[in-house]
Amino acid sequence: MSIKIRMRGKSTGGVAEIKALIKHPMESGVRMDKKTGKPFPAKFINTVEVTVNGVKAIDAQWSGAVSANPYVAVKVKANSGDEIAISLSDNTGEKGTHSLKLK
Amino acid sequence: MKRRSFLKGTLATGAAAVAVNAGLLTPSTVLADWNKKAFTAKTADDALSAFYGSSNATASGDIQLKAPAIAENGAVTPVTVDASGIDGVESIAILASKNPIPLVCEYTFAASAVGYVSTRIKMGQTMNVIAIVKAGGKLLKAEQEVKVTIGGCGG
Repeated sequence: MSIKIRMRGKSTGGVAEIKALIKHPMESGVRMDKKTGKPFPAKFINTVEVTVNGVKAIDAQWSGAVSANPYVAVKVKANSGDEIAISLSDNTGEKGTHSLKLK
Repeated sequence: MKRRSFLKGTLATGAAAVAVNAGLLTPSTVLADWNKKAFTAKTADDALSAFYGSSNATASGDIQLKAPAIAENGAVTPVTVDASGIDGVESIAILASKNPIPLVCEYTFAASAVGYVSTRIKMGQTMNVIAIVKAGGKLLKAEQEVKVTIGGCGG
């Protein structure tokens, strides 16, 4: 199963704001399990990529300090009808991708 | 109750998929190179040096850093960095000065992107949120203190 992404985007005056909600635990690997005294194993999204019509616009790297179920909003230069895609992967290799056509 | 059981169900299937992945496939290649050195650095300066080769950033009033003065829950601190007033923004990094790993996230922009990022970050205690904007080869900085009343990293 891939990482679930919900995404919205709207273009006004050539600039589109893309908002995405990602369903992910974002376990940093630092938090301790009080029962065992060991840290919970790390599982967090570490690479995120945003493309406009297949061309890379934003490349992001994250640590485990991005909140669980991350919300992210970015802006790209794009007009209505352009296709925006977000693809991401976490440190265990699990991936997710989602795309939409701008209104 | 319905929503609760739905969540449990999706989490369980998610875990199963991870187990399958781990068993059958070796960890696949990531989208871009994740800068391990910067994301294991223990201080903000070390992280910046690992990422940009320098921790020398000048304070700039052109960066609009929006973070709450008091965060009721440090685990979800909304932070917005708006550098759209600056020309040629190459990247934006967000750091939390006293987190065990200060570097939170780093965004690299192509020409088709606008220097704007809004996200939510975890903060373990009261500390400064630092936004680093790289534009025209220079590092610019904006800083704001956020008082955290409930920890985000200690659980």
